[in-house]
Amino acid sequence: MTAADAAMAWRRRAGRIEGQHLVFLMLLGFVAVFVLYPVLVILVNSFVAGAIGQPRHWSLEGWRVALADPGMRGAIENTLRVLLANETISLPIAVLLSWLLARTDLPARGALEFMFWVTFFLPSLSVTLGWIVLLDPQSGLLNKLALSLPFVAKAPFNIYSFWGIVWTHLSTAALSIKVMLLTPIFRNLDASFEEAARCSGAGRGQTLLRIVVPAVAPAILTVLVLSLIRAMQTFEIEMVLGPPFNFWVFGTKIYILVAQVPPEFAPATALAAIGFLVITPLIFLHRWLMNRTDYTSVTGRERSDPTPLGRWRWPAFAAVATLALTITVLPVTFLVAASCMKLFGFFNIPRPWTLSHWHDVLTGDFFGQSLLNTVELAGGAAALSIVLCSLIAYFTVRSRYAGRGALDFLSWLPFAIPGILLGVGLLYVFLGNPLLKAMYGTIPLMILATVIAGMTLGVQILKAAMIQLGAGLEEAARTSGASWWYGFRHVVMPILMPTLVLVGVVNFIAATRDIASVALLATNATKTLSLLQLDYMIDGRSEEAAVVSVVVIGLTTGVAFLARFLGLRVGLR
Amino acid sequence: MAAAFVRLHRLSKSFGPVAAVDNLSFEVAKGEALTLLGPSGCGKTTTLRMIAGLEMPDAGEISFDGVPVLSVEAGINVPPERRKIGMVFQSYAIWPHMTVAQNVAFPLKVRRVPASECQRRVRDALAMIGLGGLEDRPATRLSGGQQQRVALARALIHEPALLLLDEPLSNLDVKLREQMRVELRLLQARLGLSLVYVTHDQTEALSLSDRIALLNQGRIEQVGTPRDLYERPETRFVRDFLGKSVILAGIVRGAAHGRVAVAMACAAESVIECPAPAGPAPSIGAAVEVSLRPEAVRIARGDECASVATLDGTVEAVLYQGERSECDVRLGTERVLVYAPPDIALHAGDKVALALAKDAAQVWPK
Repeated sequence: MTAADAAMAWRRRAGRIEGQHLVFLMLLGFVAVFVLYPVLVILVNSFVAGAIGQPRHWSLEGWRVALADPGMRGAIENTLRVLLANETISLPIAVLLSWLLARTDLPARGALEFMFWVTFFLPSLSVTLGWIVLLDPQSGLLNKLALSLPFVAKAPFNIYSFWGIVWTHLSTAALSIKVMLLTPIFRNLDASFEEAARCSGAGRGQTLLRIVVPAVAPAILTVLVLSLIRAMQTFEIEMVLGPPFNFWVFGTKIYILVAQVPPEFAPATALAAIGFLVITPLIFLHRWLMNRTDYTSVTGRERSDPTPLGRWRWPAFAAVATLALTITVLPVTFLVAASCMKLFGFFNIPRPWTLSHWHDVLTGDFFGQSLLNTVELAGGAAALSIVLCSLIAYFTVRSRYAGRGALDFLSWLPFAIPGILLGVGLLYVFLGNPLLKAMYGTIPLMILATVIAGMTLGVQILKAAMIQLGAGLEEAARTSGASWWYGFRHVVMPILMPTLVLVGVVNFIAATRDIASVALLATNATKTLSLLQLDYMIDGRSEEAAVVSVVVIGLTTGVAFLARFLGLRVGLR
Repeated sequence: MAAAFVRLHRLSKSFGPVAAVDNLSFEVAKGEALTLLGPSGCGKTTTLRMIAGLEMPDAGEISFDGVPVLSVEAGINVPPERRKIGMVFQSYAIWPHMTVAQNVAFPLKVRRVPASECQRRVRDALAMIGLGGLEDRPATRLSGGQQQRVALARALIHEPALLLLDEPLSNLDVKLREQMRVELRLLQARLGLSLVYVTHDQTEALSLSDRIALLNQGRIEQVGTPRDLYERPETRFVRDFLGKSVILAGIVRGAAHGRVAVAMACAAESVIECPAPAGPAPSIGAAVEVSLRPEAVRIARGDECASVATLDGTVEAVLYQGERSECDVRLGTERVLVYAPPDIALHAGDKVALALAKDAAQVWPK
C-alpha cells in the first residue's frame, strides 16, 4: 500500500467515526475488561500454585488435584443426574403451563403467571429453608403430619436426598424460568395456525400436540439449552441440602475449594476451566438455534380470543393454582412461621412462638447497615444494568459493526461463570491493579459484580424486545433529523420503557438475593442481607437466618409487585 | 430538464452474494417526482434507504444539490439526520409512546424550534392533512389512513427539499389509496418538492410521477416519463411489467428510413408498418414479434368492418368488467387479449375483426 492509499484509508475510517462508534468501542472495551479478563485470570491461575500474596510459580498441580480428586467423577455424575431429573419433569409441565397461561381462557391467568415470576425471584436459599421446615426427616411438619396417620410407620419425606434436591430446584427456578420464557412465545404465536387446525377438525388436545408444540419447538429447544447452561452453576441448594448426605455437584465442589481455609484456588480454577469447556459449545449451540429460529411464524400480528377450555377450565385452574401456591405460598408461610419460633421447625414444644429472634436481628449490630447496603447495591445494580444491557442489546441487534458478534458472545459468558468464580476473577483483577485496588470492598465493585452476573438475562430480554420493535421507528427518528443518541433517548428508550423497568427490577432482585458473586468482595462494612443470612446459617442460627430470609423475600416480592403495578400503568397507555 | 438536485452515481450494494443494487445511476431534478418501480426484490427500497443514509452502499456516490452526501471512495457519509430529508416509511413508523402532535413536532424539536412556533406549525400541518383537532390523541389510536397522514406531516414539517416515500400507500384500502394519490400529487406540486417514491404498483407509478425509473435485479431497465415507458418500452421487461400487450408473430418484409414492414403470421396479406427497433436493422425474412397495447387494437364484429385492413379472428371467451370487456381472441394459432368497449356485446364463438392503430406497434427481434 502506498502512502497515499494509506492516507486515503485512514481518512475513510476517520470520516465514519461518529458518537455511535465511540460508544460501541467503549462498551466493547468495558465488557471485555470486566467479563473476559476475569475468565482469563481464572484460566491462567489454574496453572499457578501458591495463594494470593505468596510466592507463586507455574504448575499443573491444580489440574492434577482437580482431576485426581476421587469425588470429582461422582460430582459430575450427580450434576448430570439432577439435571436430567429436573429437565424431564419440568419441561413438559412448563410447556403445558405456558400454553394454559398464554392461549386459553384459564381463570386468573394473569395473576397465576405473575406467581411464577415471583417464584423465580424468591431467594432459593430462603425457599430451601422453608422446605426444610416442612420436609426435614426428623422435625419436618409434613413428616409429623404423615406419621400421625395410623398406617404410616416411618417418615415419608426427606429433604436431604436426591429427590429433595430435585424438588427444591423444581419449586424455585427450574420450572418458573421456563414458564417465564415460554409464555410470551406461546402468546405471540400466530393464532391462525390454531384456528386452521381447529377448522380442519382437530380437537384442543390434538391442536396443542400436533400444531402448537411443533410450531414453538425451536423456541422450546432454545429454552432447554438455556436451562442446561444455567444448571452448571447452581450450588446454593446443593450446598445446604447436599453435604448432610455427602452429595456433591460441580458447583459445590468448586465452592468448597474456594471457601475452605486456606482456599485452594488452583484446583477450583481448573474445575471452572473444565466448566467453561463444557458450557462454551452449549452457548454456541444456543446462538445457532436462535439464528435458525424462524421468527416470521411468531409474528404477534394475529391476536384472537383465547382457546376455551370448556369443562376442563376449572379443573385446570385448580391444578395450576395448587401448583403455584405450593411452590410459593407454602414454603414462604412456613419460613415466616419458623422465624417466630423458639426452636426452628419444632412445633410440638410447649409455647413454641416467640418474637425474640426478630427483636435480636433487627436490633443486632449488622442489620441496619446490611439493609442499607442491600438497597444501595440493588438500586445501583438496577440502574447500571439498564444502561449496560440496553446498549449491549442495541448494538448486537441493530448495528453492523464487526465486533458485535464478540459483544454478543461476551454477554453470554457471565451466564456460564459460577458466581463464586466471577467473584474470584474480579478479586484478582481489582487486587492486581493498583488503580482499581482502592475499589476493593466498596459497594460499587459489588454492583459491578452483580451487574455482570445478571447481564445475560437482561440483554436477552431486551434483545427480544428490540427484535420485535423493528428498525423502522428508530430510522424515522434519524430521517426526521435526530442524531443517533437523540433518537436512542427519545424514541428507543421510551418505547422500551416497560422492558427497561423489567430489566431493572430483575437485576434489583438478583442483586438483593445474590450471594455467590459478592461473597468474596464484601467486607463487614459492606455486608448485604443475603450475606448476613448466610452467616447466620453457617453459625447454625436457623431462626435468625429465617428472620433475614423473610426480610429479603419482603424486599424482592415488594419490588416485583411495585413493578407489576407500574408496568400495568405503563402498559395501559 | 432542470439541474439535477439528487444525483446517484454508480451505486452498488450487495447482501452476501446477492447484488441488491448493481452500478446504479440516475438523477432527480428540483421539484421533480421520480418513482422507483419494480418487482419485489429489485433493489428499489435499498436504493431509497441509501439515499436516506440508512443503508451504506459498497460503492458509488450520492450528492444533493451538487454537494456529496455519500462517497465510498472519498470516505464521505453524511448521517441521515444531516441530509435534510423527509421520509415516509411503509410501516409509517409512528411512535407509539407519543401523541399525534408529538409525533409531528419531533423534527422541529430536534432542530430546537421555539415551542410557540412549533405548536403553530404542527397545527397548520395537521389542518393541511385533514387531522386538525386530533393533536392530543395517542398515536396508537389512529386508523391506517390517519397514521399515513401523520407520517406524511412528520416528514414534511421541517420543510425538507427532498421527500422519500417507501410504498406509502400499500397498506391502505383501494378507495383511500386513490384519494391519497391525488392529494400527494397536489401537495408535491404546491410545495415544489423533489420526491423519490418507491412502489411496485404500476398505476401509482404512472399517475404520480414526472419520471419513472424501472428497476430489475438491481439495475435500471429504463428511465423516462410514464408515457415513454408505457408507449415506447425499450426492453421486453419494461413492456411486460407495465400494462398488458397484444403480441403477434410476424415476418419482416421490408425495411427503410427507420421503418419496417411486417407481415403478420396469422394473416400473411396483412402488412403493418412500424418504427424500426433500436440496434441493427432486421433483415428481410427475419421472424419478429409485433407488440401493441390493447388500447391500440379496435375490435369489431366481422360483418361490420370491411373497409379497414384488419385481422380476422374468433372470440374464445369474454370477461365482462363493467367499463369494458376483455376478449380472448384466436387468430389462427395465436391468441391475444383485447379490450371491447361496453357497447359491443360479444359472445364466445363470434367472428370478429381486429384493427391495429397506425404507428402504435413496436417490433421486437425474436
